[in-house]
Amino acid sequence: MLKKRVSHSAIFVTVAAHNEGRIIRSVLRPLVALGYSIVVVDDGSTDNTWRQLSGLGVHRLRHPFNLGQGAALQTAVGYAVEQGAQAVVHFDADGQHSPEDIPGLLAPMLAGRADVVLGSRFLRKEDRQAVPASRRLLLKGAVLVNWLLTGLWLTDAHNGARALSRRAAQRIVLRENGFAHATEILQQIRSLGLHFAEAPTRIRYTEYSLKKGQRFLHAFDVFVDLIIKRLLR
Amino acid sequence: MRPIQLVLILFAAGFVLFYFNRLRSRLLDRLLFFVLAVLAVVMVLQPDWATGVAEFLGVGRGADLLVYLGFSGLAFLWLGLYARQREMDMRLTELARRLAKLGAEKPKKK
Repeated sequence: MLKKRVSHSAIFVTVAAHNEGRIIRSVLRPLVALGYSIVVVDDGSTDNTWRQLSGLGVHRLRHPFNLGQGAALQTAVGYAVEQGAQAVVHFDADGQHSPEDIPGLLAPMLAGRADVVLGSRFLRKEDRQAVPASRRLLLKGAVLVNWLLTGLWLTDAHNGARALSRRAAQRIVLRENGFAHATEILQQIRSLGLHFAEAPTRIRYTEYSLKKGQRFLHAFDVFVDLIIKRLLR
Repeated sequence: MRPIQLVLILFAAGFVLFYFNRLRSRLLDRLLFFVLAVLAVVMVLQPDWATGVAEFLGVGRGADLLVYLGFSGLAFLWLGLYARQREMDMRLTELARRLAKLGAEKPKKK
């Protein structure tokens, strides 16, 4: 880990988009305006997501069929590394993250204090208060599950906002194609001995993002995926 | 011979024929399959032999022994297929990923 100055264009914001045509342009425009390089992987969308991505000034890639959020992120990050990214940011496509939080995510990494920075909606009072009660319970349950599976105790779980150094982006390889990648990242942070930190992020709970977000049953799917993976590998 | 024995033997024979014809696999697999089919036919013709083995193993009836073994075998088969499925998924993902990168479009320089 080295302290370094990194130009905005060497910071790659990676976005996995599946059927986000309605909203994707409004999510990406502020990111482009901030001068970051943007990589969007259209994960086999069946709507107009791919067309919405043209003319925005972003790198766009397309999976020939839907593979899942983890797979799309891995494609985006791998591509960003090949394009010379010095830092990689994970950013959700549904508009729940705030571009203003990106410098805060990058800060601990650029200061040389962490290889991976994980966003948390439970660090600032105003972010905490924005979390609906039902979500809070679910998320705290996921924090516990993550701790059991990975040994990492965090304040938040399944927060899609993350920052990775180039080295971390190269070394973390996601094999969980679905939503289980969020826990898989933690497992790899642990097994690769990477340093991590948490940084505050605001989550905007819109009707759209709540509908697109993980449902309770997903949580169970994810849990089963991870258990089976443990047994088989 | 009871009718059910004939039906079961025809099943076993059909299985072997199908396997040898359609799924050309390694000699070892064929041999194993053939031996299993012969064993099956023997069990059908001589149920008492299975009961003998069952009693030796501490199971009351031959039929029960076959159920236990059958379930264990199926469980293994399921696990094997599942592992293979995951591997196929990984290969498919890798393929899709390479395709995506090949077709990547960079932003136009302003």
